[in-house]
Amino acid sequence: MTKPPIDLLQGTVDVLILRTLAWEPMHGYAVSRFIRQRTDGVLTIESGALYQALHRLERKKWIRAEWGLSENNRRAKYYALTTEGRKQLRAEAATLRTYVDAVFKVLEPV
Amino acid sequence: MRRFLHLPWRSSSRRRADLDEELRFYFDMRTRELIDGGMREADARREAVREFGDLEYTKQYCLAEDAMSTRDARRTDFLSELRQDIAHSWRTLRRAPGFTAVAMITLALGIGANTAIFSVVNALLLRDLPYRNADEVVRLWGSYENTARDRSQMSPADFLDLRARQRSFASLGAFGFGGGTYVGTGDAVRLAGLRVDANVFNVLGVPAAIGRTFVVGEDSAGAPPTVVLSHAVWRRVFGSDSSIVGKTINLSGRVRTVIGVLPPSFFFPTVAEAEIYTPLDLTPILRDVNRARKFHFLGAVGRLRPGVTVPQGSAELVAIARQLQREYPASNEGISVYVLGLRDAVVGDARPVLMVLLGASLVVLLIACANVAGMLLSRGVSRRQELAIRAALGAGRARLMRQMLTESVVLAGVGGLVGLGLAVLGTRALVASAGDMLPAASQIGVDGMVLVTALLITVLCGMVFGLVPALVSSRDMHTALKDASRGSSGGVARYRLRAVLVTGQLALAVVLLVGAGLLVRSLTRLQQNDLGYTLDSVLTFDLNLAGDRYSTAAGQDRFFDELFTRIGALPGVVAVGGSGNIPLRGGASASFAIDGRPHTGDKLPEVGYQPVSDDWFRAMSIPLQRGRRFSPADHNDAPGVVILNESARRQFWPTGDPIGARIRLGPDPSTPWATVVGVVGDVRTGVTDDPRPTAYVSARQDHWGGLAIVVRTAGDPMTLLPAVRREVRAIDASVPVSDARTMRDVQAMQLTDRRLPMQLMAAFALLALALAAVGVYGVMAYSVAARTREIGVRVALGARPGNVFGMVLRQGLGAAAAGLTLGFIGAAALGRLLTALLYGISPTDTATFAGVAAVLLAVVLAACLIPARRAIRIDPLEALRSE
Repeated sequence: MTKPPIDLLQGTVDVLILRTLAWEPMHGYAVSRFIRQRTDGVLTIESGALYQALHRLERKKWIRAEWGLSENNRRAKYYALTTEGRKQLRAEAATLRTYVDAVFKVLEPV
Repeated sequence: MRRFLHLPWRSSSRRRADLDEELRFYFDMRTRELIDGGMREADARREAVREFGDLEYTKQYCLAEDAMSTRDARRTDFLSELRQDIAHSWRTLRRAPGFTAVAMITLALGIGANTAIFSVVNALLLRDLPYRNADEVVRLWGSYENTARDRSQMSPADFLDLRARQRSFASLGAFGFGGGTYVGTGDAVRLAGLRVDANVFNVLGVPAAIGRTFVVGEDSAGAPPTVVLSHAVWRRVFGSDSSIVGKTINLSGRVRTVIGVLPPSFFFPTVAEAEIYTPLDLTPILRDVNRARKFHFLGAVGRLRPGVTVPQGSAELVAIARQLQREYPASNEGISVYVLGLRDAVVGDARPVLMVLLGASLVVLLIACANVAGMLLSRGVSRRQELAIRAALGAGRARLMRQMLTESVVLAGVGGLVGLGLAVLGTRALVASAGDMLPAASQIGVDGMVLVTALLITVLCGMVFGLVPALVSSRDMHTALKDASRGSSGGVARYRLRAVLVTGQLALAVVLLVGAGLLVRSLTRLQQNDLGYTLDSVLTFDLNLAGDRYSTAAGQDRFFDELFTRIGALPGVVAVGGSGNIPLRGGASASFAIDGRPHTGDKLPEVGYQPVSDDWFRAMSIPLQRGRRFSPADHNDAPGVVILNESARRQFWPTGDPIGARIRLGPDPSTPWATVVGVVGDVRTGVTDDPRPTAYVSARQDHWGGLAIVVRTAGDPMTLLPAVRREVRAIDASVPVSDARTMRDVQAMQLTDRRLPMQLMAAFALLALALAAVGVYGVMAYSVAARTREIGVRVALGARPGNVFGMVLRQGLGAAAAGLTLGFIGAAALGRLLTALLYGISPTDTATFAGVAAVLLAVVLAACLIPARRAIRIDPLEALRSE
């Protein structure tokens, strides 16, 4: 971790969580660990914000929560993507890509 | 392997605990990861909390989100479960088509009967009347104090005095009967109508749909003749001609300008549908001092000033009438006014009838509900296992009850839909057969209000008949799997409940049967009343003469002489005559003085008054008891002659002979004396009226410009009608033949307001009896099935088929006896509600009650027969082995 982690906007957090859960249903801790490892620690989501996002997405019915047993046999709350969530993920990812592309079109010549 | 558990709706404490556990899991995992990375435990724990961020805020945030999720879930779950339940109910009902059909028809009949009656109640009692601020409008009648005649006509002078002296009303308007003969392109038609003063339409607050109504001055002498048309006659006779206003039409030989057409929703309060309205000019009669206060022929309407109540307005008018009594003792003794708010005036006698019928239809609905509840209870037995399995799979009691209620509401919904169809047809049939009994018949129909009520009734029914079975089923569903045998304790409870339901049904059916029986017997009594003449084989119709040809007495006599000759010559005619009014349609009356006999008291006696043709008594088969009938010799210039009826003879000459006596009819002292030449038998002038003293004069000596004709025939009277019309046309094509029907039909129309309630009540009672019989059959069949083992044991122990048969019948008769007892108590208590509809019979008529008991016992026995036969066929060996 050479550079300090980048703060993320709420919409970006949501799309990252949706993308992560598209792999398989996970509990909150697994989601946070997955994002950290995937981005080599560049993107860290503050865990508080992560849990807020999970509950928010559940309310929007983009993800669904169910209690299950964890790897170490503890009761844990698992989140899974819903059909609605999958649709949302596609839309948000496309928007994000357009946004990033646009930003880079300005920055590229540097 | 993970095992997923569905999260059901969570309480707020449950949500809090879940969140704590979720976060604890996170902190434990994160701490362990940090320890694995080389931290000491205490530091690791502190670091995990630090890097988490604002823990308290996160908790609040998550709990708020969870609360919203729960609320959303609750809503969607409820809706999806409802959808599920409805779909499930639909499938269940379709799997048992027999059960569904019987239950549906039962409910459709109950709901249909209720909705039809309610649509009439709605139109007459609930919906706004078609007048502006109808609450302010009243109807006025003349009344005779100390007599039952509280709704009669007023004299013009009295009306004008009332109008001039009162302060409670913004305006008062008077009207009298009118109408006329319209000669257009086709046959002449008689149009019923009213003559109204210029205030009437203002009082009612009804503007014309096309053109205008009368303005002040149009009702005075010398104003150009005008006419306002009803919407119905504008459509029927004038082909909805939108440019009719301003055109002239010929009415009874007078050319009148059409000034307006009334809106379709308008009906004139309390008067049988009027088709045309012409201006009422009171000046000629007011000039005649003898008649201005004695000639009672006006009705009136009034609009109260804002803030004045009907009793206040009424009190003021009655006080004025008392003043008039003092000022004009000769004419006004005992004469007062009678005032009713418009709603009461319009609905009048129909209200108690409607209430009784509404009650009866509700009873039918109750019985229908009880039947379906009974059927559901029995069905619950075969569904106990299904319910138990659903319960075992996690459905709660409330959830199961909701499902069963949904099922019964769906059933009620299907029944209600069919019932609504029945109601639409029923309402039409009802209005068509009601005749004059229902005022404003054209306004009656199924509207939004009726639809909403039908929907409410339906849902309520579903709840009522579904709740009891649902409660019972959900109570014993937990024992069902353990104890799948029939005849278990749950079965006994069900049987008892069904027996109670059946007893209640029978009791309700008994109440309706007694009511119907009383009405049927009343009507029979009325029909058996001796009318004093023969009804059969008599054709009757009205002829009204208009135009210059008939302005003289001789002109009218010429017409009728030729008419009687021509019709009398037709093959099949026995006799033909004419009269001012035919019996059953009321009549006129006149004061009565006898020469040489000073009358005691201030007031002359009143007798019925009727001008009749020479052959009237022969045509009506009214027997001549003394003296002679009228003849052509009693012409207009000959000395006046009178024929009295038996009642008049008995009252005024209890011992002597009236022939040759001289009497004066009418209030005018200058009227010459007339000689009594004959006495005839009494006739009833109305179906319920007793004969009254009556004086007949010759139609050659009092000309009314028209007569009601009766033709006594050898065969079917109606086949004679074309020939009669031909003869009338041959004499004068401009004279319309109106109201042609047989005397039987006239009587039938008179009896309509009694027959229709009787028929409806009888229909409801039979329906109730049939439904109750189905109920009895159901409970007996169930009882026999549930007692199969017991009956088997009895047979094995030596009971003979007769004993078994008797046992089942006794059980059925027990229910019948209980139902009869309760029903009789109910009928005796409710009987007085019917008093107004009864004739010559007491509400606790023994014969009726006995008849109902016999009918009920017979029906219950019949309903028990099949279950009883099934019981004696039970094979004891099989019955015992089957367990």
